[in-house]
Amino acid sequence: MAHHDDQDLLPTPGQRVGTFLKRKDVSQTFVLGIFFTAVFVVLGLWVYPHWMPNVMSKEMQGNEDIMIWFTVISAPIAGVVLAIAMESFINMHRGDTPPPEDGPGIKTHGPVVVIWSAVSVLFTIVAIVWGITEMNTWSSDALAGSNNALVVDVTGSQWNWSFNYPAQGITSHELNLPINQPVEFRVISADVNHSFWPVQLGVKVDANRLSTTIARTTPDKLGVFDVKCAELCGLNHAYMETSGHVESVADFNSWVSQAKATGGTQQ
Amino acid sequence: MTTLSHKPASARPIPNPERSLITRLNMGSGTVVGILFAVITYYLLRHHFGSPWRVNHGMDMTNTHFVNVTILCTMFAWSFGFLVGIGALIGPFRWLIGKDLTAEEQLYLAGDGQGIKRYFKYCTDHKVVGIQYLVGVMAMLGVGGTMAMMIRTNLATPGSHFIAPIIYNSLVGLHGITMIIAMIIVSTGPFGNYIMPIMIGAADMAFPRLNALSWWVLFTAIPVLCSAWFLGGIPTGWTAYAPLSDQAGPGMNAFLATIIIFAVSTAVAGMNITTTVVAMRAKGMKWNRVPIFVVGATISVALAIPAFPTFMVAMIQTGLDRTISTGFYDANVGGSGWLYANLFWIMGHPEVYVILIPGVAALMEIAPVFVRKPLFSYGAAIAGFAGIAGLSVLVWAHHMYMSGWMPSLNGPFMITTEFISVPTGLLFLVLVGTLWRGKPWMKMPMLSVYAFIWDFLIGGITGIYLSDVPADNYLHGSMFVTAHFHYTLMGAALTGAIGALAFWFPKMTGRMLNDRASYISFWLIQIGFNVLFLGMFMAGAAGQPRRVADYAQAFAHANLISTIGAYSVGLGMIVLLWAIIHSWRSGIIAPMNPWGSKTLEWTVPYPVPLVNFDEPPVVTSDPYNYGRSAK
Repeated sequence: MAHHDDQDLLPTPGQRVGTFLKRKDVSQTFVLGIFFTAVFVVLGLWVYPHWMPNVMSKEMQGNEDIMIWFTVISAPIAGVVLAIAMESFINMHRGDTPPPEDGPGIKTHGPVVVIWSAVSVLFTIVAIVWGITEMNTWSSDALAGSNNALVVDVTGSQWNWSFNYPAQGITSHELNLPINQPVEFRVISADVNHSFWPVQLGVKVDANRLSTTIARTTPDKLGVFDVKCAELCGLNHAYMETSGHVESVADFNSWVSQAKATGGTQQ
Repeated sequence: MTTLSHKPASARPIPNPERSLITRLNMGSGTVVGILFAVITYYLLRHHFGSPWRVNHGMDMTNTHFVNVTILCTMFAWSFGFLVGIGALIGPFRWLIGKDLTAEEQLYLAGDGQGIKRYFKYCTDHKVVGIQYLVGVMAMLGVGGTMAMMIRTNLATPGSHFIAPIIYNSLVGLHGITMIIAMIIVSTGPFGNYIMPIMIGAADMAFPRLNALSWWVLFTAIPVLCSAWFLGGIPTGWTAYAPLSDQAGPGMNAFLATIIIFAVSTAVAGMNITTTVVAMRAKGMKWNRVPIFVVGATISVALAIPAFPTFMVAMIQTGLDRTISTGFYDANVGGSGWLYANLFWIMGHPEVYVILIPGVAALMEIAPVFVRKPLFSYGAAIAGFAGIAGLSVLVWAHHMYMSGWMPSLNGPFMITTEFISVPTGLLFLVLVGTLWRGKPWMKMPMLSVYAFIWDFLIGGITGIYLSDVPADNYLHGSMFVTAHFHYTLMGAALTGAIGALAFWFPKMTGRMLNDRASYISFWLIQIGFNVLFLGMFMAGAAGQPRRVADYAQAFAHANLISTIGAYSVGLGMIVLLWAIIHSWRSGIIAPMNPWGSKTLEWTVPYPVPLVNFDEPPVVTSDPYNYGRSAK
């Protein structure tokens, strides 16, 4: 029965957690954890909307949201890591000789390893589900818009972009798009690999030789966007850029008829 | 670094194996024979295939094709000739004719009693090879870093014409490949060769001659890579995507030849390190008592063994495309650039973990010593490394989300990529678990642990966005990617290697690394680094593509911030170099075990005897039994 008595003397799990939380290093770490988590949350919420350019499509909004919210979700994990690191940093031993005595001989702690792994699996699953949901939204939007999509054949060549509108019968070095109409970019290269990047529209796809690749989006704001090349393509890669315009339907139509009037080619 | 003050381990007379050829061979004879082989090959092939100085190289592919035969063969002839000239083939040759090397000759090859000369010979002593790697890596980092400074100078302001675009593109490629090669060997080369065999209680590596071979093969690649400058540069970036690489001028051959030679070196080194750890551990060093750095280095090189051959194949095929127009990657004749991209990234993603793992493992070796606590959860550390290594071979196409190759596979590759967060999280757990309730002794190696935690956290979180397919639509090919992978490769892996250097410096040089200079360099590098890549994250998020020689006014602030940070890093690296050279020559003499570590390398004196241990050590516990009353 001595065994039974020993068990009575041990603190209950509740008491153990209570003592743990009352320890000075634990409460300090906790405060630091809150602080670092808050820093990362604020960074996530503030930084990307300020750094990233105008949002001119739903896809671009999706990209920005992922960067914001993935930061916010990972904030508590970053907070814990930085808090423990900072707590130990504050308690540093300085000098030219090793510390007089060793720290506690904690070799491992089963529950901590399990909880940590479970949290990171959970976090990973959230990120994956978010990503897949977003991908599905993009494809279903593209499918829904495929009937009335404006097709633009994009050709990258060293070192400029040209845009052919097959339905309208015009070719241009200028990319004009009507607002709120789904657009399908069919991208190809005349020489080496390029990457077609209409920046503010939030999509991108490589231009390959003899294989057409597709990017779909729906511009939903009027304005100017940048078209850049995102794959090193030789000498003037840095200058392989132009600007595109999202216009009202009326403006777009008048641009098309003007282009047709000048022989189907608009420079 | 020719001022090493190494004294011979013992004052035995230099063995004189009957004044044989072996005693006369060194780097000089290697260079002479290498150049001789190269010149002969060049003149033999010149008439058939032309020379780079006789054709109009440029965009005209039909003219440049055959000249590439001349150039490539000349480069390989140099490499082979150098190895012949330095005596790399004497061992196998003598074995073939049935007159294997005598014991005296082997002792001679190990550099016994030869002082500083052995660093310039085909020396089989793992400690000599380690120092050769260390000096070589520092030279490569110096060259790569100088190129980084030139790149950042050009990008300081928009419209800068400090460097012409054609040279800028070459700089980007050469900076990339120089740094990648340097970073692959930065930990496993110096510390994997010098320290690791002592750590496991071995007398030398399993295959000492292959060990020397791995270094000298790598050495022959350096002049080959440098020759790119005289042949028109590497205008493709280090990824060398086809068909841009088909179009590139003769300098491209230097890249191909370098990678092929380097792949041989890593295969040899990888086999050697793996075999050594499996077969030559001290008595009693069970698998659960192997120091974590040894585990990390072994997993890293074991991962390189399957990874680099695909890079070699990719380069052989590029070479065939460029010489005899095989068209593997040429869509016009039925090839595919995606084939190249796949082969490249099948190497490319494991490769980043080949770089990262030894750096992290070194910091895990450091943390327990300075915190005076056991390594937290040795099992989780192994699971982390093994998990990363296992998953890393299944994620390569996340570099190709936007390539148009199999968009339907983007989802699966996103899932495997995101799951790397789990083993990576374990690495963080091991480090912060070791710090928990500790009072770390704040020396240079320990500072690196903290820098790693911050840098790798930023690298990790930004990696989560990049692994996400929709977000990658925006971020792919932008400066954001560049900033992200510098956080992981430089912020994490190089920080780990610098920590490892500070940690093992006393054992490798017999002297302590100067504290004050290394602290100054630490803060210059770390603050500069974070400013540099903060600016680059800003530029990338704002939409600046990577590898651009120029950019729009909108990115001006971000780039200026970046360049200021870069100069701080550059200054810090110069201070660190000064600290290393100064301490190596005239630093404080180190005691045998300055940090009070419990691993075996601290039980041998400096200079380390030729066979490391007078008596083979016996291991009776794991090396992390620090701590009061382990509960």
